Amino acid sequence: METPENNSGYESAEKIILRWDSTASEEGRERMIFGTDRQEADVYLQAVDEIQRTLSSASISDCSHNVDADDQSKVNTTIQIAMARLEDEFRNILIIHTSALEIDSLFDSSTSFSSSTPTHHELEDDEDCISDDSGSSRNNLLQLHHCESSDSSTYRTSSSIREVDLMPAEAICDLQAIAMRMIAAGYLRECIQVYGSVRKSSVDSSFRKLGIEKLSIGDVQRLEWEALEGKIRRWIRAARVCVRILFASEKKLCEQIFDCVGTDIDDACFMETVKGPAIQLFNFAEAISISRRSPEKLFKILDLHDALMELLPDIEAVFDSKSSDSIRVQAAEILSRLAEAARGILSEFENAVLREPSRVPVPGGTIHPLTRYVMNYISLISDYKQTLIDLIMSKPSTGSRYSGDPSTPDMEFTELEGKTPLALHLIWIIVVLQFNLDGKSKHYRDVSLAHLFMMNNVHYIVQKVKGLPELREMTGDNCLRKLTGKFRQAATSYQRATWVSVLYCLRDEGLHVSGSFSSGVSKTVLRERFKTFNAMFEEVHRTQSMWLIPDGQLREELRISISEKLLPAYRSFLGRFRSHIESGKHPENYIKYSAEDLETAVLDFFEGYPAS
Amino acid sequence: MTGTDQSSFLGRISIRRNQVNAMEGYHEQEIEDLELFQKQLSDRFAELLSAPDDAPTEAFLSISWIRKLLDVFLCCETECKAILLMERDAAQISKPPLDRLIPELLERVVKAMDICNAVTNGVELVRHCQKLAEIAVSALEQKPFGEGQARRAKKALVSLMSAMHVDDKESSVQKTAERSWSFGRRSGNKDRHHGHYRSLSWQVAKHWSASKQIHAMTMNLAAPRGPEASCLPAPVYILSLIIVFVMWVLIAAIPCQERSGLTTHLPINKHVNWTHSLAGMHDKIGEEWKKKEKKGMAGLLYELQKMEKLGQSLIEFTDSYQFPGEKEKLDEVAAQVAELAEVCRRMDEGLVPLQMLIREAFHRLVRNRTEFLDVLEQGTPVV
Repeated sequence: METPENNSGYESAEKIILRWDSTASEEGRERMIFGTDRQEADVYLQAVDEIQRTLSSASISDCSHNVDADDQSKVNTTIQIAMARLEDEFRNILIIHTSALEIDSLFDSSTSFSSSTPTHHELEDDEDCISDDSGSSRNNLLQLHHCESSDSSTYRTSSSIREVDLMPAEAICDLQAIAMRMIAAGYLRECIQVYGSVRKSSVDSSFRKLGIEKLSIGDVQRLEWEALEGKIRRWIRAARVCVRILFASEKKLCEQIFDCVGTDIDDACFMETVKGPAIQLFNFAEAISISRRSPEKLFKILDLHDALMELLPDIEAVFDSKSSDSIRVQAAEILSRLAEAARGILSEFENAVLREPSRVPVPGGTIHPLTRYVMNYISLISDYKQTLIDLIMSKPSTGSRYSGDPSTPDMEFTELEGKTPLALHLIWIIVVLQFNLDGKSKHYRDVSLAHLFMMNNVHYIVQKVKGLPELREMTGDNCLRKLTGKFRQAATSYQRATWVSVLYCLRDEGLHVSGSFSSGVSKTVLRERFKTFNAMFEEVHRTQSMWLIPDGQLREELRISISEKLLPAYRSFLGRFRSHIESGKHPENYIKYSAEDLETAVLDFFEGYPAS
Repeated sequence: MTGTDQSSFLGRISIRRNQVNAMEGYHEQEIEDLELFQKQLSDRFAELLSAPDDAPTEAFLSISWIRKLLDVFLCCETECKAILLMERDAAQISKPPLDRLIPELLERVVKAMDICNAVTNGVELVRHCQKLAEIAVSALEQKPFGEGQARRAKKALVSLMSAMHVDDKESSVQKTAERSWSFGRRSGNKDRHHGHYRSLSWQVAKHWSASKQIHAMTMNLAAPRGPEASCLPAPVYILSLIIVFVMWVLIAAIPCQERSGLTTHLPINKHVNWTHSLAGMHDKIGEEWKKKEKKGMAGLLYELQKMEKLGQSLIEFTDSYQFPGEKEKLDEVAAQVAELAEVCRRMDEGLVPLQMLIREAFHRLVRNRTEFLDVLEQGTPVV
């Protein structure tokens, strides 16, 4: 400040600074330094550097008494004016070059670079997943939509971060240049504040474009699950874009601008920008993870779990500093809650199947909606096998919760050594389903129908298991064997219940009156027998035509089995005794049917004809 | 009693409980335990109530005070939950009047979770204030103190004041952000001083209102009477009341979305023996709130209030400052700056742990709700 050369350099620099003081001069307010004329900007920066040099040299030679406090105050003021101006320029450059990201193109790129098929499934889901309104006015246990499940086998893909350039290189240079000066003059904090405030509103507006909603936990608890499923789908897509592109790009921008001045600073700016939005983003997933557990939620929760799992490496890469600990921690917490929720829901589901209380017998003894629902559910579980195998770690609780309660089936786990917990759960579900169905079958007044019902339903289970290789592999052949045995036994029980008494009419005992074999047939008894047989058969025919065996092959088999017992017995009976009837009055009252008639009538059985 | 180690207290109760046969209803032993617990609570609240109004640390409604309050909440939650869930099955919890009381409690828990999130967001605002104050402090600490530093400090202080008085409503905050240009579009100096540094949109749902949440939480909140007062409804009431109170304090202390109309009248039954100090704190904070609400307010957090007072005074100083200034005045200001620096330091140390503690409370609430729901699900048949 003492030498003439320095003085003039300082003075001209000061002039430049003052000229651009927006609080003092009109001109200063109207134009921007940066962005119009490259030269203006350079000149200004040089002026700032000059002032800064003066200040530094003054403080170095501070101990000398030549330093005029007045002058120093003036220099300080000049620096302050320069910094205020640079701050505004900084803000201005940021604002001008802040354009909302092209969101649609981001969605496309996010689906293409992530090779996981879940995205495709989710995008299709919007069309495919139409609710089944076909008169299922029953309890909401049955409103399970079989949406396309995600192929979770790809969730372990490697990090797929893609940064985009948020600003042109020129702008970044200018910002760098300004930042350097501000930091050198001790105005770091202001710099961070300005940066954070502009970039954060940019992130906020990108969020709005991505459709990321601000929902409270209360809101999420109140919404219908169907509505939430849509939101979860959208969230998954948006989260991928946010973490891999949006946040990553913001981070890169911070690094680019503050590269020269140290990593702590670019980290601080990054956190200023994204911390709030990141927390807002994760709050939705968190709200889902703590919602009430009910069976229909399982698969979307697994989708969310898988998506977050897939994102976790990227989250850790983007939020890798100490100050972003809480974000990483929150993501991990949400993931573990989602896993817990899945486990809880599976338990809930098992309980629900066990306790499903509907007592109204299904007409015709056909497949119960519960059976369909459960098998549908199980098949979805086997679709999600990859994820669930890792999540389900403990055996189903078969006893402790119901201490002393006789209303649960037994299941011996010793014979199921070596099976994964998931497989044990699946087997348990089947066991529990049968147990419940057994209880339901007892509401049929007709014992035959009860057996038919069991036969139908267990057979259905068997068919389903056979049709899903993954499921079959998990439950094992032993389980299948037992089930098959069960439905065959039900078929046998049915036959006994219905036909023993009918065929009893065609027995030999009691027909012969005296010891002699030729003429010792009691005509009265014989007539009774025929009448009884006819009446019984007609009754059976009437009722059991209304019964239904949906499976064609099973229906055939059972009819054949009936015919095989019925027809020979009747033919033999007819053959031996018709002459006795025909020699009496009104034989047509007693011999109403030929064997062929019966054969034809059997074809009506189990067709599910409506009551006439 | 206040010196009692919390863990040993809980240990004592748990041991006693294990010796008791799990029986229907409420055993004499349990009634005794409940009374002991209520006495403990009463003592801890008395301690909180007696905190000095103005002190370097541990002042009433300071960051460390609030942390203590949250500690009481966490202990209470543990204890009440243990009383309600240990060795009981679904049948007991689903009987009247618990079949109504517990779902109501869980409703409050959900609202409390949202409040925790909103307050955590609010702490970010407080941290923002801290950073602005730090700018002012670093400018004011410069020696020699020139007019440049004064202008710098003033700029930061003005932003600080506007940040603290940001209207809790979401809409007006966004308008503020758009006006943060200091040249070009607008004329007039005063626009320039509005929120230079922040587009502070709350990260909470648009129509979410803190005061409405509290109001809803106070519905049906009444102390159990007669025989119920020494049975299971009692711990439900204790937990409910403490949740409501703690959330209310957090909202009063820390700015968050839509606090206007915050009730100053929580249904604290003063006749219930352990609520005496609780009622005292409630009255005190309610009074403060009523006073400040008229002026448009920052949170009642002790450090924020200090910051506001010091900030106002320092703005006046910087506004009229001319180099070199009078020694007396400068000394006075130096003392205030030191105080402000101290407040910033306490915020720096205390805000992150506070957020972590609020997060811990959040986790407890989540677990609390999940556990209750699990028990309730067992008891009720599926539709």
